[in-house]
Amino acid sequence: MNLYEHTLVARQDTSPAQIKQLTEKYSKLVEKNEGEIVQTEEWGLLNLAYVIKKNKKGSYIHFKIKGPGKIIEELEKNEAIDKNLLRYMTVKVKKFDLEAKYFSRKDDYEKKDYKKDYNRN
Amino acid sequence: MPSKKRAGNKKGKQSNFAKLSIFQPNKYKFKKSCPLSTKGAPVVDYKNIRLLKKYMSENGKILPSRITNVCQKKQRELSLSIKRARNLALI
Repeated sequence: MNLYEHTLVARQDTSPAQIKQLTEKYSKLVEKNEGEIVQTEEWGLLNLAYVIKKNKKGSYIHFKIKGPGKIIEELEKNEAIDKNLLRYMTVKVKKFDLEAKYFSRKDDYEKKDYKKDYNRN
Repeated sequence: MPSKKRAGNKKGKQSNFAKLSIFQPNKYKFKKSCPLSTKGAPVVDYKNIRLLKKYMSENGKILPSRITNVCQKKQRELSLSIKRARNLALI
């Protein structure tokens, strides 16, 4: 069993319902392949650093997955042909960091560490 | 303080690693310890954009470790996570 972090970037014009659908679709795919979803996070609509396929923004969905490696194969095969998605990325990790929320609104996280200097962006 | 005059330098005097600045005060220039290896240092991660941005130039390039004083191990982690974040269009 391996631990993976999996991130999807969906197009900017996907509705919240569609995003839910996407999340469900891929969670089901994971469960079908003997995997387990430890956590899902929705980072919401974020500005992209550069334009991807004429999109300036993207909705980010983040999964933390536990399971065998063939899950990732299956997931990426499906994501590559999904027209709603702009990017996907999988990272294998040794340990999940379930506490750190880097993308929640008004996170206290950054206030603690970096104070006022990094308010830009 | 001469470094304050520079428009790009937003961090003021509390920063221990002023970005590419010829005018940086001597006490920062010769600081040796790595800012990411001390106790309680933040974890280097591709999701932690705010941290990664500190180690990049304004044009989005990775700053060399001789300027930021990051140790070799952490610099490798940094560059990997910066590249991951770039792929996701986060930075």
